[in-house]
Amino acid sequence: MKPSHFNSCIYVQSETRNYSKIDSGSARTFKGDAPEDFVTCSCHFKITILLDPRRINHTESSTMTLFHFGNCFSLAYFPYFITYKCSGLSEYNAFWRCVQAGATYLFVQLCKMLFLATFFPTWEGAAGVYDFVGEFMKATVDLADLLGLHLVMSRNAGKGEYKIMVAAMGWATAELIMSRCIPLWVGARGIEFDWKYIQMSFDSNISLVHYIAMAAVVWMFTRYDLPKSFRLPVTILLGLCVYKGFLMELFVHVFLLGSWTALLVKAVLTGAISLCSLFLFVTLVHSN
Amino acid sequence: MFEEASEVLENMLKWSFPLSLVLFLVLVCPLRAEAAHEFSVYRMQQYDLQGQTYGSRNAILNTEARTVDAEVLSRRCVMVRLADFSYEKYQKALRQSAGAVVIILPQNMSTMPQDIVQQFMELEPELLATETIVPVYFALEDEELLSIYTQTQISSSSQGSSSAAEVLLHTATANGFQMVTSGAQSKAVSDWAITSLEGRLTGAGGEDLPTIVLVAHYDSFGVAPWLSYGADSNGSGVAVLLELARLFSRLYSYKRTHAGYNLLFFLSGGGKFNYQGTKRWLEDNLDHTDSSLLQDNVAFVLCLDTLGNSDNLHLHVSKPPKEGSPQHALLRELETVAAHQHPDLKFSMVHKKINLADDTLAWEHERFGIRRLPAFTLSHLESHRSPARHSIMDMRSVSSLEGAGEATAGPHVDLTKLSRNTKVIAEALARVIYNLTEKGVGGDLQIFTEQMQVQEDQLASLVDWLTAQPRAAQLLDKDSSIVNTLEYYLSRYLKDVKRHLVRADKRDPEFVFYDQLKQTMNAYRVKPAIFDLLLAVCIASYLGVLYLAVQNFGLLYGFLRRVTAPRVKQH
Repeated sequence: MKPSHFNSCIYVQSETRNYSKIDSGSARTFKGDAPEDFVTCSCHFKITILLDPRRINHTESSTMTLFHFGNCFSLAYFPYFITYKCSGLSEYNAFWRCVQAGATYLFVQLCKMLFLATFFPTWEGAAGVYDFVGEFMKATVDLADLLGLHLVMSRNAGKGEYKIMVAAMGWATAELIMSRCIPLWVGARGIEFDWKYIQMSFDSNISLVHYIAMAAVVWMFTRYDLPKSFRLPVTILLGLCVYKGFLMELFVHVFLLGSWTALLVKAVLTGAISLCSLFLFVTLVHSN
Repeated sequence: MFEEASEVLENMLKWSFPLSLVLFLVLVCPLRAEAAHEFSVYRMQQYDLQGQTYGSRNAILNTEARTVDAEVLSRRCVMVRLADFSYEKYQKALRQSAGAVVIILPQNMSTMPQDIVQQFMELEPELLATETIVPVYFALEDEELLSIYTQTQISSSSQGSSSAAEVLLHTATANGFQMVTSGAQSKAVSDWAITSLEGRLTGAGGEDLPTIVLVAHYDSFGVAPWLSYGADSNGSGVAVLLELARLFSRLYSYKRTHAGYNLLFFLSGGGKFNYQGTKRWLEDNLDHTDSSLLQDNVAFVLCLDTLGNSDNLHLHVSKPPKEGSPQHALLRELETVAAHQHPDLKFSMVHKKINLADDTLAWEHERFGIRRLPAFTLSHLESHRSPARHSIMDMRSVSSLEGAGEATAGPHVDLTKLSRNTKVIAEALARVIYNLTEKGVGGDLQIFTEQMQVQEDQLASLVDWLTAQPRAAQLLDKDSSIVNTLEYYLSRYLKDVKRHLVRADKRDPEFVFYDQLKQTMNAYRVKPAIFDLLLAVCIASYLGVLYLAVQNFGLLYGFLRRVTAPRVKQH
């Protein structure tokens, strides 16, 4: 089997009466002389190969599924790229610092996994009953994320915004690579289509906003000049950030939400948290 | 950004070679996607008989699913339900060079109305007669397969719709299915051995006794080998033969009832492929050995073929028996027993000359007739061309008592009628070998009663065991459990139980079988290509909006500043 490329022509000839046709060129109407499955446009070559009894060809299907992988990957990754560019981090040579933040993410995840494996063995209780207390305890371990973010930000000198953005970008990119790239590569390239890959990519966008908000809240929490009246809202926001995953699972379990609805709820929740944290941040920065 | 990135990456790559190796292995590993549904499919027959090819030549497929009403069928896998199946639709699919045909059969055939079953039975030989390169598969229906079929049907039937916008919307939202089989291309099985079994009961009183041969072929035939259970044809014949073996071995074990006839029982393999087992057995016994029971004094050969149903019984002969010969004696005894003991049974003789110009022989007795041994076949079918002899619908046995209310579609074994037929044959044989008519015994005397009676439970369990698995000749090699169990059963009652193997000749094979008869088919949910394009357009627009939002983030920031500033000023 020859690998396929988006813009190359492949001609396969078999020994029987069947042979392959390549359709390319200018746009065609959907009706008329073209059979309805020959949808072409000038930017995309569709290869139609009649079945040769001696050869299975995956060319057509694998082109499409690679395209789908490309879709999902760009949906997941481009916002990060846009944020990096537009937040002016590139002017500060922040790439290496982002990588360091990513390394810290890996380290923190490793410690969390070890901790969970040691102190929270698999619950042998009734299957199907959602173990609220157990999951709550597990979510508490996510406090380590906050510590990690604080560690990253304390090592970076600079303005508050710079520290927050660097820490959040590095953290979120590391999470993207670790927890989303492999499933996308293995799953979205397959023949089987599932909406969950698009949802995963959207989820990574939401995570980016979430980590920016979380880094901002952590930064505010550790400021020495935080006014007394801000302590409470900041602490509440901090708690919400940590337990957001737990709350989402709770909602899904109790209200039996569909996957798209859950995504919407998650987006709304993250949006609310980030707006509140932005509001507090602006107030804090510009009150001095 | 890219300059710093390349610098960083260079540094990283120096010490991260093992990491990249792992990454490479991960990326190169083969794709194993989960399928929407996985199910077993059974391929249509593929075999060569005497140089003539039959059936479907191809086994692999990787095509999109469509139903028959779709307009474009080429290179697609056409899915049809049994209820909607007809020969014209099949021809249409073949003419448009479809990628494959999958026929969905219901799990329980008894839900199908009689006329559909009948129609399909008549179509089976026609499907096989046309050799085709399109793979034809049969699948048993379950819920998920049915839902796949309904979804495919909805999308197929709406393809003829009008405007381009509708087509666009439809192909964007529809769910297509890609059907993929996992096996390899089919190829000929080399060196397949067809096994036949023989056993004997030696008569009392010295040398040169006449021999009676009882023959039944134990394999079955249908349009798909893995679905041919052959209850009536020829599970009933095998059950009758084994029960006769049991009864006569009992009679022969007592000195007073030990008759002066040798009884030779033969279970032949490859019966549905022009009686290959019988043919080779005859050659070996008559041409290649010095002494054999078949060479000396053969009274007659009785072949049992399809005896499990109906109130008719036909004795098929190729030459009407002459007066005074043992064959005529059997004919007469059968008429007597039928007339006196079972008046509901209609017995008759059917005369059909052997036609050597035909592709295949009609009945098994014709093999013996060619070698000049007197033979006939007993069957409830009137014609050898009856579709019940090679149908996959022949798969159940029902006792008249329990199945009294429902009319069972398709051929099946009726146990009361089977045991009645067994009794008739046993009585007639006994009258011949003990010469009862000449001794003046009336036609009413029943020999096989009380302890010697035909055991209906035994017949029932035999038929149940025989129909529990498919018995196509391609599936039974010499180590198969059916052959071993039959050998064991025969050796309980008969002596000198021997196996006889038939292998096709290397240079000019009489029969060639092909493999890949059972496959696992995966149905993957796929979206049409235009869907990916639409999605790309949507994602591009989303990213554009996001870019604008991030660029103008300062606006939001400024707005919030202005909102909070007055509060600060008031402080």
